[in-house]
Amino acid sequence: MFHKILIANRGEIALRVIRACREMGIRTVIAHSTADAASLPVRLADESVCIGPPEARSSYLNIPSIISAAAITDSEAIHPGYGLLSENAAFAEICRACGITFIGPSPEAIRLMGDKAQAREMAKHAGAPVVPGSEGPLAGVDEAQSLADSMGYPVIVKAAAGGGGRGMRIVREREGLARAYATCQAEAGAAFGSSELYLEKFVEEARHVEVQVLGDKNGMRLHLGERDCSVQRRHQKLLEESPGPNLAPETRAGLYKAALAVAHSVNYVSAGTVEFLVDRQEQFYFIEMNTRIQVEHPVTEMVTGIDLVREQIRIASGEPLGYRQNAVRFTGHAIECRINAEDPEHFVPSPGRVTTWIPPGGPGTRVDSHLMAGYTVPPHYDSLIAKIIVHANNRAEAIARMHRALSETVIEGVKTTIPYHLKLLADPAFVAGESTLARLEQSL
Amino acid sequence: MAARRPVRTPGGVAPPTVDQVVDLAVRHNLAEIEVEADGTRIRVVREHAPAAGAAPRVEAPATPLAQAAAAPAESTAHLVPVEAPMVGTFYRAPKPDASPFVSEGDVVKEGQVLCIVEAMKLMNEIEAKAAGRIVKILVDNGQPVEFGQSLFLMEPLR
Repeated sequence: MFHKILIANRGEIALRVIRACREMGIRTVIAHSTADAASLPVRLADESVCIGPPEARSSYLNIPSIISAAAITDSEAIHPGYGLLSENAAFAEICRACGITFIGPSPEAIRLMGDKAQAREMAKHAGAPVVPGSEGPLAGVDEAQSLADSMGYPVIVKAAAGGGGRGMRIVREREGLARAYATCQAEAGAAFGSSELYLEKFVEEARHVEVQVLGDKNGMRLHLGERDCSVQRRHQKLLEESPGPNLAPETRAGLYKAALAVAHSVNYVSAGTVEFLVDRQEQFYFIEMNTRIQVEHPVTEMVTGIDLVREQIRIASGEPLGYRQNAVRFTGHAIECRINAEDPEHFVPSPGRVTTWIPPGGPGTRVDSHLMAGYTVPPHYDSLIAKIIVHANNRAEAIARMHRALSETVIEGVKTTIPYHLKLLADPAFVAGESTLARLEQSL
Repeated sequence: MAARRPVRTPGGVAPPTVDQVVDLAVRHNLAEIEVEADGTRIRVVREHAPAAGAAPRVEAPATPLAQAAAAPAESTAHLVPVEAPMVGTFYRAPKPDASPFVSEGDVVKEGQVLCIVEAMKLMNEIEAKAAGRIVKILVDNGQPVEFGQSLFLMEPLR
């Protein structure tokens, strides 16, 4: 097992990794920017190294500085968290070349799954159903046009290197395609450095359901059930739950089988997530695989009792999983709300100084947050400030518990998405377990 | 890490000198101290706070006003820190057996190499941004440094 791990991330996920390390008796080093020098992860880590100025590209995305910080602190492994460098194959490769263990999958798996067109081919080959669409990147707008005409509208144009909702457009009729194509190309070029696009049939009234998988270095792989992440706003997840509501047992079984087939196809090691769209008839389609720990991993931890970050670290150090699929037990229902420092009406970031922070507590309530009174939410990074997670016997009780938890939460100084979450929890369609990706954008 | 303790002096009292603040930090074994009075703010951060004998690190005064206010001869506020532009290992000489680039008391020209910060096997030469006299070298040879850490205190020459 490792003696010391460097955390190349910030905020709540940095804290999450520190917590796992502490329980495992591993020393932690946090690599941080000047903007985070007074943050809770820096206070709680055993050591801290300032690696650069506030802008992420000069600090949290600065590979030489991070490797250098690992070297001067004798760190044996790097946990990349999510976002930032977590799905950067080159970074994983450099870690390997420097003799530092990257806590995650192989650079090869990251690269294969990071290219959406290639991932789609891999999934198809592995027997997972995919949404009808272009075979590989589009040659140009003409190819997009003829393909869309033959599949029928609506279609969705996506950046091959995309993610996080950027570089994608839904096109409902023929007239809109050329413009959407141009916009996506520009966005993709600016955001990801690659303007390759592909096209898919758009699945209406779809739910976003993802399967958590774990794989060890001996080739042992298992799933930890699914999460429904259909509550999104502008392709950003806001609430996640496990198990997914109203899924037929055979749909679930199909999802697990397809997820494991995809994971096997890239010899997946560590924690990963295979994402699917599920339509009204419970037909499901592979969308992509996320080769990292996810923001919403706690809901899976609550229903399985398995510490996913601990498992990532154990696997990276070469330990076998040590248990089989039938040892994974699912208990009750868990919901997570992502609390962002955002205006709940317009969803624009609301950075600033948090003057009051009273987190919720009580039975079945977990809070993953780097907040503290007096903390200034820096404008340089994403706006997630807290994750509130509840666990209860069933979905109805979990909703009631979440409502109670959010109602007692006090965050003053910045605007948060809590009012939106409270409205959502009272929404009849959500309560009935009928959230779909499109519906919320319209009704709330 | 020791807790931060912002200290405010009541209005009307003369602002303390940097030396006085450093003394306070050492006497009470504080990792960090910030003193504000009449628009002057002095912040002192000690690199290895609880370790005995660790040299306190004086950061650049937070406001330009502080420089002017803390001008008396015994203070170090007129000194300008040279900060590490990256995280890495600090070296005073180009090679282990070579003589150091600079020593305390040396007068350096703008652009003169002061030290090396090694990051990922790359030797980054750190140059003086302006002419001045090296008053204090704050880091030992071979010691790890982080981004923004003060390496030297220089007295600017005009």
